Amino acid sequence: MKNNQYPSWRKTKSALAAMIAFVCALLVIAPLALVFFHLLREGAGAVSWSFFTELPKPVGVAGGGMANAIFGSFQLLGLAALAGVPAGVLGGVYLAEYGTVRSNWLLRFVADVLNGVPSIIWGVVVYGLVVLRFKSFSAYAGGLALGFIMIPLIMRTTEEVLLLVPTGYREASLALGISRWKTIVYVVMKTALKGIVTGILLALARVAGETAPLLFTAFGNRFWNHDLAEPIAALPLQIFSYAISPYDDWHRQAWAGALVLVVMIFLVNILVRVLTRERLARVL
Amino acid sequence: MENAVTIEPPMITPASAPQQQVASDSEPDAAPERAPAFEVERLSIFYGEKKAIDGVALTVPSKMITAIIGPSGCGKSTLLRSLNRMHELVPNTRVEGKVLFGGEDIYAPDVDPVVIRRRIGMVFQKSNPFPTMSIADNVLVGLKLNGVRDRAFLRERLEQSLRMAALWDEVKNDLHKPGVSLSGGQQQRLCIARAIAVEPEVLLMDEPASALDPIATAKIEELIHELSANYTVVIVTHNMQQAGRCSDYTAFLYLGQLIEFGSTTKIFSNPTERRTEDYITGRFG
Amino acid sequence: MTPPKHILGTFDEALASLRSNVLMMAGLAERSLDRAIKGLLKRDDNLCATAIADDEEIDQLEKQIDKDGVDVLLRFQPVASDLRRVIAAMKLSPNIERVADQATNIARRARKLNKHPPLPEIEIMVPIQTHAMAMFKDGIDAFAREDVDLGRAVVARDKDLDYMNKMANRKLTERMAQDPKQLRGYLNLIFISRCLERVGDHATNIAEDAVYAAAAEDIRHQTVAAVT
Repeated sequence: MKNNQYPSWRKTKSALAAMIAFVCALLVIAPLALVFFHLLREGAGAVSWSFFTELPKPVGVAGGGMANAIFGSFQLLGLAALAGVPAGVLGGVYLAEYGTVRSNWLLRFVADVLNGVPSIIWGVVVYGLVVLRFKSFSAYAGGLALGFIMIPLIMRTTEEVLLLVPTGYREASLALGISRWKTIVYVVMKTALKGIVTGILLALARVAGETAPLLFTAFGNRFWNHDLAEPIAALPLQIFSYAISPYDDWHRQAWAGALVLVVMIFLVNILVRVLTRERLARVL
Repeated sequence: MENAVTIEPPMITPASAPQQQVASDSEPDAAPERAPAFEVERLSIFYGEKKAIDGVALTVPSKMITAIIGPSGCGKSTLLRSLNRMHELVPNTRVEGKVLFGGEDIYAPDVDPVVIRRRIGMVFQKSNPFPTMSIADNVLVGLKLNGVRDRAFLRERLEQSLRMAALWDEVKNDLHKPGVSLSGGQQQRLCIARAIAVEPEVLLMDEPASALDPIATAKIEELIHELSANYTVVIVTHNMQQAGRCSDYTAFLYLGQLIEFGSTTKIFSNPTERRTEDYITGRFG
Repeated sequence: MTPPKHILGTFDEALASLRSNVLMMAGLAERSLDRAIKGLLKRDDNLCATAIADDEEIDQLEKQIDKDGVDVLLRFQPVASDLRRVIAAMKLSPNIERVADQATNIARRARKLNKHPPLPEIEIMVPIQTHAMAMFKDGIDAFAREDVDLGRAVVARDKDLDYMNKMANRKLTERMAQDPKQLRGYLNLIFISRCLERVGDHATNIAEDAVYAAAAEDIRHQTVAAVT
């Protein structure tokens, strides 16, 4: 019967739309794929065990690694977490649980503005506040700069996941005669814990690759850092200084560093996905 | 038209004349000497400018089941929640009047709502056991988070609460399993166990069975009946047959006002107010 | 004041159907009773036969009303005034059915009497019949119009009917002693009087149920003074 079949022009239109959508999706994925392949091709050769364990060699000498930079990055991230996580999470708790409509609007606006501030500005701010005052570049300064970047990020994601927790749980807890703050900590935050953790991980992944704020706070170090009040090496910093150098060997190591950095961030994102799936199943 | 509740000695008359009978108004077995659980005095509740409850005056009898019925939007949930100050979770509320619980106004300025809510528990329409906790932890959360540490006491209270909620036999071997792994009816009974574990004096129930199938509903209704031996129960329901089955007293609310309050039998067989009659016979609402 | 309609239209229809069945049954019973007495007074056997034949339809209506009543209770779980109306309808129907049975009894006795020469004492039945019929009509009316005062009045009139029956008995017994040849006839008349007295009793039941339906008041087994 004529009515049961698609008219042929509608079929063509559908196919065309599907194809356009597919091409657009490819366009989105293409840059990531290109970056990955390029990094692999240039850097895979230089990634070796010594890359992870040896300090940079002096200028002109071949070989060496980025052990101090990799470790330094982790140290900086630890400090950043110390600075950024409490403020961010508690800020998110305020927004979700305590804030009034007016104060929340203001806070969210400020957080969104801060999220858009170029990261080098944070470096400058911390330079003025900490580096100049203590008259030295330090890991603390670098960690603080990264922490500042993390605060508005964590605040927003924490707020979001807390708002996802159904009101029924808060009501049930309060109806039992449990005080407000205990309700928030032991019921609401506990329920949203995975979400809060993924928010923190995402923020860490974001700042792991920041170079500009570290330029004049952590400053970089060709040796191991023994005192957090001293300058410290970081992977992005090392990549930067090797990349602008005239030495081929250093160029190759820069590629390797970039590859390692991207793989680290990639792994964190996968971890986040895994955790997120479980969290959704639990809360719903 | 009132039936005379008089008891006269039977007249000594010839067998052909009929004797005067006692006309009784079927009141449930209320002990009039027991102090009421709540005395609501001219209570008005405002959400911003809107008046949700308008001058309600009510006496909730102790250790009885009182049902609050009325069409949607009449304020029954608001009234229920005002009995343990849960309506204050909505911002911008204002209260006029008093709610006397055990003789004292729960809205007095020096009264801590947290303490009130330990004495007046609440069960909600949608069962909400905490998802991150096991069955045992769910039941005991009210006690644990309020500082009770004695493990023997906790264990005993756990069993007692689950037994009273008619859930012990079904879960006694699975106490470590997550609270959300139970069926809908069981979850609701778990929430009831959780509420009674803190040993309140009153249980407020906001349409506790409306999300459940008929068998689970029947179990909840039976449970409510058993609970009324130890607790005052106030239940909001939009199901009038449920109000008729479950409660001893019924209050009919309409547009925030209390239209009629009386024994359930009277309300459902011969209400005084026209509007009550029209609502329960399904002529409006 | 008529109450507003139920939101559920089928509920109103079911209640209306139940009510109209009761009224139809009452109408038929009243007609049978009338025919039976007229058959007696006018010595018309055809009227008697019709009265007896109609009983079957009335019996069927009784069953129908009970069935419909249970159906309404089941499906609609009525409360308050609706419940009382359904219960009253179901309690009225056996009373109406028995009134029709009494009509049948009267018709049968009338046929027997018609075989013999007329007795002047038949006239004694007239006021009794009038009173009983009026009570029955008013009882049904009280139900139909939900008239509590009328219902109470009917209950009060039963005493008068009992008295009239007692007087008729006495008179007829005297006649039996005076004129033993007509014994059978007088016995039949006594019996008919008793049937009419029973009609009054059923009318009283109907009136009591009507008062219950209208006002939720149970006026059964009370002294006359308490009722009026």
